[in-house]
Amino acid sequence: MLAEKYPNEVKKILAKYPPERKQSAVMPLLHLAQLEAGFVDRHAVVEIAGICGITETDVAEIIGFYTLYHDAPEGKLRLQVCTDISCALRGADEFLAKVCERLGIQPGGTTPDGLVTVEAVMCLAACDKAPMFQVQGPDGIAYHENMTVDKTMEFIETARKEVK
Amino acid sequence: MPVLEPIIELGRGLFTTLRSMFEKPVTVQYPEERKPVKPRFRGRHVLKRYENGLEKCIGCALCAAACPADAIFVESSENSDEKRFSPGERYASTYEINMLRCIYCGFCEDACPTEAIVLGDQYELSFTDRKQAIYPKDMLLEAVAASQLLTPQKTEPGKFTRSVPEMKDPQD
Amino acid sequence: MAKMVSLTIDGRPVSVSEGTLIVNAAKTIGIDVPVFCYHPKMEPVGMCRQCLVEVGRPAIDRATGQPVIENGQPKINFGPKLETACTTPVSEGMVVLSQSDKARASQKEILEFLLTSHPLDCPVCDKGGECPLQNLTMEHASPQSRFLFDEKHHAEKRVPLGDKIWLDRERCIQCARCIRFQEQVAGEPVLAFYQRGRSTDIITSSEPPFDSIFSGNTTDICPVGALTTADFRFGARPWEMKAAASICSLCPVGCNVTFNTRREAKSRARTGTTTAGGKVVIKRAMPRQNEQVNEIWICDRGRFEWHYVEREDRLEKPLVKKNGKLEKVSWKVAIEEIGNKVKGNKEEVVVLASGRLSNEDLFNLKQLADGLGGEALLYDSLPGGELTTKYGVSAGTNIGDMGAGTTILVAASDLYHEAPIWHLRVKQAAERGATLIIVNSEATRLDKYAKHLVRCEKGEAAKKVRELGAAVKDAKNLVIFFGADGSSALAEACAELVKSRAGKPNNGLVGVWPRANDQGALELGFKPAQDLQAVFEKASVVYIVGADPIGDGAIKTQNVKRKPFIIVQELFLTETAKLADVLLPAQAFTERDGSYTSGERRVQRFYPAVPALGETKADYAITALIAAELGIEVEGRSAGLVMDKLAAAVPAFADITYGKLAETTEQWPIIGRADLYYGGTSYQNSQGLGVPLGRENKKAEEGSL
Repeated sequence: MLAEKYPNEVKKILAKYPPERKQSAVMPLLHLAQLEAGFVDRHAVVEIAGICGITETDVAEIIGFYTLYHDAPEGKLRLQVCTDISCALRGADEFLAKVCERLGIQPGGTTPDGLVTVEAVMCLAACDKAPMFQVQGPDGIAYHENMTVDKTMEFIETARKEVK
Repeated sequence: MPVLEPIIELGRGLFTTLRSMFEKPVTVQYPEERKPVKPRFRGRHVLKRYENGLEKCIGCALCAAACPADAIFVESSENSDEKRFSPGERYASTYEINMLRCIYCGFCEDACPTEAIVLGDQYELSFTDRKQAIYPKDMLLEAVAASQLLTPQKTEPGKFTRSVPEMKDPQD
Repeated sequence: MAKMVSLTIDGRPVSVSEGTLIVNAAKTIGIDVPVFCYHPKMEPVGMCRQCLVEVGRPAIDRATGQPVIENGQPKINFGPKLETACTTPVSEGMVVLSQSDKARASQKEILEFLLTSHPLDCPVCDKGGECPLQNLTMEHASPQSRFLFDEKHHAEKRVPLGDKIWLDRERCIQCARCIRFQEQVAGEPVLAFYQRGRSTDIITSSEPPFDSIFSGNTTDICPVGALTTADFRFGARPWEMKAAASICSLCPVGCNVTFNTRREAKSRARTGTTTAGGKVVIKRAMPRQNEQVNEIWICDRGRFEWHYVEREDRLEKPLVKKNGKLEKVSWKVAIEEIGNKVKGNKEEVVVLASGRLSNEDLFNLKQLADGLGGEALLYDSLPGGELTTKYGVSAGTNIGDMGAGTTILVAASDLYHEAPIWHLRVKQAAERGATLIIVNSEATRLDKYAKHLVRCEKGEAAKKVRELGAAVKDAKNLVIFFGADGSSALAEACAELVKSRAGKPNNGLVGVWPRANDQGALELGFKPAQDLQAVFEKASVVYIVGADPIGDGAIKTQNVKRKPFIIVQELFLTETAKLADVLLPAQAFTERDGSYTSGERRVQRFYPAVPALGETKADYAITALIAAELGIEVEGRSAGLVMDKLAAAVPAFADITYGKLAETTEQWPIIGRADLYYGGTSYQNSQGLGVPLGRENKKAEEGSL
């Protein structure tokens, strides 16, 4: 439970918003809930809904809308490749397909060892440095720009060693 | 020659009769013998099945809506994978055609989105009672070759989710 | 009075009040701008883009601030892009082109986009035949799509959102009407979008899931077949059904409904609790527009709970008790039996009627009781409810008009469960600015809209209401909804607050009755039954109509010392009916005509939807038969004739005729025409808006002006 696990953080987040607008705290709270396991579980959804005074459906809607939030467990690292139009023009689709091929998975899939999930996402605001992806993991979010397939595989191998 | 003229006419007539004695007769010895019907003949309706035995009819009642004689009556229910009659969610739980009302116009065939109802080549319909003229679904359904093809069937979940198959444009 | 704005739409001039949206302005002159996401009862969002039109505004000369005149006409500047008619308010001199090449091309292309993911399984879709997407596609779309058929989006086709509503994700066109209905109208935001773009889905993540009592309305306003009710799923095609106007009989709101009926196959076996074989049956109940009563909504009780009238154990023949057993007899024998028993004990006859009966039934029962010199009692009504006949809301009252300046007090009643549509409308009035005060011993769903929330112990509501006196005294308008709180003290306290306002529109009492026509019974002079046990023991003949006091535990049979001769008139063999000496089978409200008086004192007429069952007779006709046997003259030939007698005898109902009850006027929003995309599949009201009681006061007021 959030309130038990991170009592100070929850207090801090709620302090940022006026009490009559406490539903605004939903985004940082979701982020907090996702820190450890990489996804927001059902209990956390119910708890956050309770804290913010909104319905569970509202919380689920926010998780669904943003690619930053997840409601199902996937790989430890989420490699999110932007495939919107500007990136696509710089070869993002091909990049995504090749990375997936090298890893032996489908876009949206997870490697058998549970390390990496590769998915296509909407704009990450780095159009000029495509192909690019962001990595969402326990350490937060990192951008990897001007990528090639080889560089990506190298990154994954390093990460694999680090985790092990 | 007013005297000869009738005799010639008579002779001509007798010749015609005589000639036809040597021609092949046109009479068909019905019912021992039957003439094949034309390809687009419209006889008694048949409700078709797919090769796997599932009924093509999905109970949409468009045939009933198209019927100018109001001869068709359809009631539908929901399929499940445990008890599946047709692909998709819906099947005809009741399907009746009143053969006395039907005018064999074939509008039902045209209206059918799955080509389930077809006017067949059977034309020998007779009843001793008005109620017999109402053909229920089991009389209209096509016969199956093997009992495992009978409906309802137990089917694999997720396999038959669509009611209306992708069809080629009807050719005729 | 709002400022009027003149504009031209498709070359036709129209003048509407300031702030009106283009789509509504067009609607008033019969031009249908196609819409999917727009709904006249909800805030516009402009997300489906179907309503794009060309909009031009008069050019203004910057120097003079005057419109530029060219060739004697004001010069119109058209914007470079199309605008959504559902979000753009009208302005002076505006020129709207909804049928220009540009507008038509956009309408065509938006439909092409919407159809890229739509499965087009119209033959199996419950909405097929009354589907806005289907209609607009026929009207505006191109027969060919440029999109690849193989790239169609496939999704789950059978998702239960709750017990009553099923979702087909593939058919959904993401208009958010259902989400917005739950959020804005029902106030229970339990539906939401999930994901983005093409993978957008409707979800509910609440626990329990979609359980709103208004959930059925989302299927009406869904412009495709994505939301369907579990009750009607695959029940019938819309074009096969006939429509019969009726009034919901389950609560005192008196929602206008339409029953859709269809004849079932003769061969059909018994399904569930009803026998359908060859009979005309009700397939579904739909709302019928009455902006003063239920707008275009009904609650799920009204939508699904009419099934009881089709139960298999309905009584079909009169029964008479012989040697301790009820035996089937003819009507003649049953009535004669009653005649023999009653003739000797005329004064000791007690009529115990239920508020479930129509005005006509109740009037005839009263006539009978009066003719015999007996008593006419109303079973289990609201304590103190008779005060509503004096201080009830009068003609001209409409919760839909209430807003700032009106105070609404809800005392000891959980409107959400007792009268759901009142809950909906009171909630909306509170959102428009009405002051809502709630006095209740328990939490209700209306609490969060209340300006003042007063908690009290059970039975103490009256005290709290009295304490409120000063606070509500200055309110411009005051309407009080009161429920049962043990004694008549609450009703008296409420009446005290509105006494001085009697006769003014939007002022007065509203009783939250347990049944549909308790109000009518009291208006007709029935007395609420006090001590049933004593009544039962004192009377020699008890004529119980539509009530089940023994089943409800209001009379404990083991305590009854002397059993009177009991006549029961019922639909079913209830516990009370089992004790009857003569049991008479009545018709359900779906099988006959009649009228109810709603809690807001509106007399509304219902019509027969299905043929009567077996040998059943309408309640008013049965009463007339009994009266005739006893030599009392009571009208029983038709409900309309009974109403004529009723109107002549009861001053409150003066001038009401069946003709008047069937009158309608134009209502806004305009719904139920060919463009059912506008307001959903609610029925247009062409069978009568009803007549409110309490018109004498209004007349007096008009006279003084």
